[in-house]
Amino acid sequence: MNAAPAEPILRVVGVTKRFRGLVAVNDVTFDVPAGSICGLIGPNGAGKSSLFNLITGYYAPSAGEIRFDGRRIDGLDTYRIAQMGIARAFQIAKPFPELSVLDNVRIGALFGHAGARNVAAVTAAALELTGLASLADRPALGLTVGDLRRLELARAIAARPRLLAADEPCAGLNPTETEGVVDILRQIRAAGVTVLLVEHDMPAVMRVSDTIFVVDAGRKIAEGPPEQVARDPRVIAAYLGTPAEDAPAA
Amino acid sequence: MLVDGIRAHRWWLVGAGIGLIALSLAPLFLMPFHVRVVQQILFSAGLAVAWTILGGFAGYWSFGNTAFIGLGAFAAGLLETNIAIDSPTLAFVLATLFGCAVCAAVAALLAYPILRLRGIYFAIAMLGVSQVLGELTNNIDAFKGSLGIILPKLAPAAMEPQVFYYYLFLVAAAGTLLVGFLVKVGRIGYGLLAIREDEDTARMLGVPTERYKIGMFVVSATLTGLLGIIYAHSLGYITSGSVYRTDFSLNMIVYSLLGGIGTLAGPILGSFLMVVLTQVVLGRLLDIHMFITGALLVAMVMLAPRGLLGFAENLVRRRGAGLRTVEP
Ligand SMILES: Nc1ncnc2c1ncn2[C@@H]1O[C@H](COP(=O)(O)OP(=O)(O)OP(=O)(O)O)[C@@H](O)[C@H]1O
Ligand SMILES: [Mg+2]
Repeated sequence: MNAAPAEPILRVVGVTKRFRGLVAVNDVTFDVPAGSICGLIGPNGAGKSSLFNLITGYYAPSAGEIRFDGRRIDGLDTYRIAQMGIARAFQIAKPFPELSVLDNVRIGALFGHAGARNVAAVTAAALELTGLASLADRPALGLTVGDLRRLELARAIAARPRLLAADEPCAGLNPTETEGVVDILRQIRAAGVTVLLVEHDMPAVMRVSDTIFVVDAGRKIAEGPPEQVARDPRVIAAYLGTPAEDAPAA
Repeated sequence: MLVDGIRAHRWWLVGAGIGLIALSLAPLFLMPFHVRVVQQILFSAGLAVAWTILGGFAGYWSFGNTAFIGLGAFAAGLLETNIAIDSPTLAFVLATLFGCAVCAAVAALLAYPILRLRGIYFAIAMLGVSQVLGELTNNIDAFKGSLGIILPKLAPAAMEPQVFYYYLFLVAAAGTLLVGFLVKVGRIGYGLLAIREDEDTARMLGVPTERYKIGMFVVSATLTGLLGIIYAHSLGYITSGSVYRTDFSLNMIVYSLLGGIGTLAGPILGSFLMVVLTQVVLGRLLDIHMFITGALLVAMVMLAPRGLLGFAENLVRRRGAGLRTVEP
């Protein structure tokens, strides 16, 4: 599957993030085309979540710029970026613990992307899509891992984003549940939402993504369609733990 | 959204309306002592609801809201005693507006630095603010905190003062409750709930957390100031010690906790129970009020952290659960 030639909805240009001595994200550049599903992969500690933190305004980059829909968003407050239309599903699920599933999702629908909204309809649709409708009145506190993952997605899409940044939505799920989440992501994209996906489950991310970006130790080491990235020696080396420099040239 | 919220809670409004009518008629039937008790309940409930707008809804517990009782009382009192207006009513209205405006302005100024503090640090900062304001009022001669201010008598000749102040408290408490209600059932109420649950996630979802916190702090301070101004007039003579009172700050929290934190009925229920307990039941045992309050606070935190309303809800739920099949 090839990405349709479209205006990038998100541009990350030469972005660097330093934490004291550590360079978590090092001069990373990539474009996410509107309407696509892009995968962002890399070994543990590669800087994927840090990139999400930069895109969603949780941190300001040390260098570089981030553009959403042509407008610079780096350094903007998190809530402003959310109002512009970027939503995030967290790697570690962060439900509002004492609130019901319904209220969790409703808060996404009440806030999120600025503009006209039909809270009841959006909330119901998000619960339906993620299969949580039957759990609507449960407190988020007691949900299973699988349900929490889907709640993260439900709340994020209730925010009616134009770009969904999903951080490991399949982490800790069994193959059936993973398949369910992949299906949800496809439906989200079909509804016109661009998806940027971090995922360790390789088969899942390969199946669902149009384009994949690979980061290792803070740097982007590869980019392209899944089948090409899967054959990339630097990518294989990064995952097998061999230093990338020693790998044969691509 | 606000309209939907109001519609969804219309029975709540009907109940409050009936309560308001009953309370309006009550002084016709009550003995003076009981008028004063209900007046005390109205004052306490108003304060607890005002506190709840930030503390209960957003989880930012102020341990020093008496700062705004004192600030409102002294700002209004100083203006009222220095203004050259013949009509005492007009002077009182202007002074009240001024006192509320001072509270709002001071809260807005304080909000930026201290609402960045979370949890216990915010609580302590507010305690500090109330102490500092109390000391300043006491020690700067222009504020007359140690000498005291004699406030003009407002009650019309035909009316008992306690009845007159009863109605002022009733109006202020009902207004505070209405504001609390509109905040709670609207979009902003959900935003505050999200802040209470997880502020960073709330921001990630587009909740303007800073604006909401600052806004509610100002609202809470203004309403507290209004109640403080009325309280000061009901005393007739105030020193800094009579309005900057740490026990006021603590009572708002205890009453809210007792009834059910985060709800509107909770602070009212808590105020009712505690005032009746301390004023009527233990009326002659003044010294043990603080002891009782402290003991109750400990007991509540340990036995029913969600207050009496939460406790009742749990009881109902547990009954219901017994009938259901096994839960996963
Ligand atoms: N707030 C922070 N302060 C200091 N170091 C940080 C901070 N956040 C992340 N790091 C470091 O930055 C590096 C990248 O972390 P990040 O969480 O972005 O990795 P990741 O690719 O998401 O990994 P994983 O697959 O395990 O989720 C790690 O070395 C991490 O320890
Ligand atoms: Mg991560």
